[in-house]
Amino acid sequence: MSRSSKRLYDVVDSAAGHMLRASVIERLAIATASIALALLIGVGIVAAAGYDPVAFLTSLVEGAIGGQSAIARTLRFSTLFILTGVAVAVAFRAGVFNIGVQGQFVVGGFATIMSIIRTAPLLPEGVVGGVGLLLVGFAAGACAGGVYGAFPGALKAYADANVIITTIMLNFIATGVVGWLVQNPFRGEGNTAPNTERIPEYVSLPRIVFDSPGFSIVGLGIALATVAVIFVVMERSRFGYDMVTSGHQQSAATYSGVGAKRTIVLTMTLSGMVAGVAGAVFAIMIQGYYTDPSGIGTYGFDAIAVSLLAANNPLGIVPAGLLFGGLDSAGSHIGIYTDVPVQLIDGVIGLVILFVSVPELFRMAAQRTGLGGESR
Amino acid sequence: MEGITKRFGDVVANDDVDFSLEKGSIHALLGENGSGKTTLMSVLYGLYEKNAGTIHVDGEPRAFGSPRDAMDAGIGMIHQHFQLVETMTVLQNVVLGHEPTDNGLVDMSAARNDIEDICSRYQFGVDQFLDTKVQELDLGARQRVEIVKSLYRGADILILDEPTAVLTPQEIAELLDVMAELANAGHSLIFITHKLGEALDAADEITVLRDGEAIGTVDSGETSESELARMMVGREVQFDRPPRDAPRGDPVLDAEQLHVRGSRGLEQVSGVDVTVREGEILGIAGVQGNGQTELVEALTGLRDIDAGSVQFSGEDITDTNRRQRIDAGIAYIPENRTTEGLVQEYTLVRNALLGNQTVEPFVDNGMIDWAAVQRHAEEIIREYDVQPPNEDAEAKSLSGGNQQKFIVGREIEHAPDVMIASHPTRGVDIGSIEFIHDRLLELREAGMGIVVVSSKLDEIQKLADRIAVMYEGEFMATVEPTETTEEELGMLMTGHGPDDASGGVKS
Repeated sequence: MSRSSKRLYDVVDSAAGHMLRASVIERLAIATASIALALLIGVGIVAAAGYDPVAFLTSLVEGAIGGQSAIARTLRFSTLFILTGVAVAVAFRAGVFNIGVQGQFVVGGFATIMSIIRTAPLLPEGVVGGVGLLLVGFAAGACAGGVYGAFPGALKAYADANVIITTIMLNFIATGVVGWLVQNPFRGEGNTAPNTERIPEYVSLPRIVFDSPGFSIVGLGIALATVAVIFVVMERSRFGYDMVTSGHQQSAATYSGVGAKRTIVLTMTLSGMVAGVAGAVFAIMIQGYYTDPSGIGTYGFDAIAVSLLAANNPLGIVPAGLLFGGLDSAGSHIGIYTDVPVQLIDGVIGLVILFVSVPELFRMAAQRTGLGGESR
Repeated sequence: MEGITKRFGDVVANDDVDFSLEKGSIHALLGENGSGKTTLMSVLYGLYEKNAGTIHVDGEPRAFGSPRDAMDAGIGMIHQHFQLVETMTVLQNVVLGHEPTDNGLVDMSAARNDIEDICSRYQFGVDQFLDTKVQELDLGARQRVEIVKSLYRGADILILDEPTAVLTPQEIAELLDVMAELANAGHSLIFITHKLGEALDAADEITVLRDGEAIGTVDSGETSESELARMMVGREVQFDRPPRDAPRGDPVLDAEQLHVRGSRGLEQVSGVDVTVREGEILGIAGVQGNGQTELVEALTGLRDIDAGSVQFSGEDITDTNRRQRIDAGIAYIPENRTTEGLVQEYTLVRNALLGNQTVEPFVDNGMIDWAAVQRHAEEIIREYDVQPPNEDAEAKSLSGGNQQKFIVGREIEHAPDVMIASHPTRGVDIGSIEFIHDRLLELREAGMGIVVVSSKLDEIQKLADRIAVMYEGEFMATVEPTETTEEELGMLMTGHGPDDASGGVKS
């Protein structure tokens, strides 16, 4: 008991240390300044295009944090960005470039819905059955995502196939196959749209705080818990040390007895499992059924930017995910409440992301090449 | 080239090196791996910027900012790893980047004529492959394509970086013929190698590099393999061999008929038997690149073996991996401390866990106890006099000697039964060398079985109880250090003996 509480204390302690390091504050300051500069330029462009810059800026803030429903929408997006971002970060830290989080996300989400639909008749209705089905769904999502990640990992380890290429291709395959499955064998009875049946009403994450559709604080809790678990795995476990060491210096990892092939497969499995959990949260919290994945958003791709922005640090994923969530939420709000065309909104959001990530990219490039000295 | 100095951070790769190449001659640049040969040539070729020194070509002072500048001055370099696009034809590869144009379009027929000219002048036999894709050629032919490519770009001076490393003996003979022919035609060649025999066969003059310094330049007609070996291996410190009489114990590590392939697929270890007993140091001597690396990796579990077996304390461990061998008690001081022994961007605390990931109390049930690792790091730093004594310093901020002391400390603290030390004092200052030697001798007194691989004869003679000399993947002989001479070892290291050598005993 005392030992485990000591360990917990150590984790919290070092987590706080990571958060409070001067460089973190510095990064936040740089990020804030970058956002301001990008918005200034963006607003200038909006004005030059003949739209009202003040209305644009107001609805941007309103859309991100203006009221309960805006905040709920921001957190809904952020939840998904945090989960998929962590999935990417796990792999990138280990030096494995998993571009396939989108595919693992899709496969995980589809497996979640199908497993719940197929298991539902076997369990009692109501709260007990609901919790049981949630567990079944999350387990199925994590397993399916993990297997779908392990596959390109094994191809890399045992057939020397380039992970970037295989994972990109597997994204297309996941989207195509799941799209066909929901169109044909698994289309819900009487549905004209390519959708599966709905999962039962009693299988849902309770809202508790925000009374807004498509968001549950429990979903955000799952995301933050995942961040914590991954942080502990990376910083405290042998597997994490082996993995991160492989990412830093493969030859040193091999020297210390780490099997390179096994580590690649395990890394991709873990990364895919987190992506699968993200898919499960998306499927249960937002949709309640599964649909053609070509139309569900590109969380798995945006996650790469989220992870890079956070320098692949699991704790950094939280603020990075919040920023991306806020921008997406603001974007959809502006689209509805102003006459600024969606292309221009996306352009301004892209500008913000670009400005925020550029210092991070420079920093990572400098670290990789050893240029620029110790302090930037 | 005069007074060339090149530093990478604190590491001096070339220290005030002078080198001059006569027109129409072949000049061999001889030295062990890591002695600075390739660095020196990369400075000449414009790949690295020098920190000091001057370069003259045909009497003109020159400075090359990029390989393109060097090419324009008539210098071509053929790298160890060929720079060819495998999916393109030979013709396309040769003209790549230097396409002759006719009204903005590539004039392939003009290029074809030029290349056929070059080929017929030197009888390269490349012209028959012009429309073959490079991936279909064997390595010898690819190398000739590289040479043609350099000549096509107007190179007068050709630098060949370890050109024989990937070739079969027949291909090597053909290459040496081609080189002689090029020299006769007035080209000047620099031939980088660590193989003594090839340098003597091919070159007119030989410059020996050691630890980044030019030891001397000799005429190939006026030198011998053993003189060259001495120049390469050197003698830095006069070591006194401490007296010893501890009885040798039972064999603890025993390998039989090992056959091991190198990274390029060629057999590097051919039927070697190794026996290490408790309380003895087996020294493995030899010019580097004769299979020592592969042998050590086979013994430590880092490399699969083709044939043979490895026994440890009577158990067959042939099929176990590195981690299982760490757990069994085989510690390893690696050949390359910067890439293998330490993660450069980790602190010493994080590095103290490297190789200890399965050792209690540092790791229990898969979870790391960083407080215990931290105490371990502090202990290593104190016991092994690592400077600066700061466990939060990143490994890359330490000097080579201190990095090595940290590694040696970490490996000894495993309390292993067998220690395999590969070049344990390479690039280490004299004080640290003495320190590391003393520790290894202490371990031997305590009954550990130790293998020391080194190309420094003095080190081997000081430490070893038996010396096995390795040459081209085989043990030439195993000799007693008290009954051998440096000359005899030098002969064995260059492949003469064991019949020519006196005092050899069977292993």
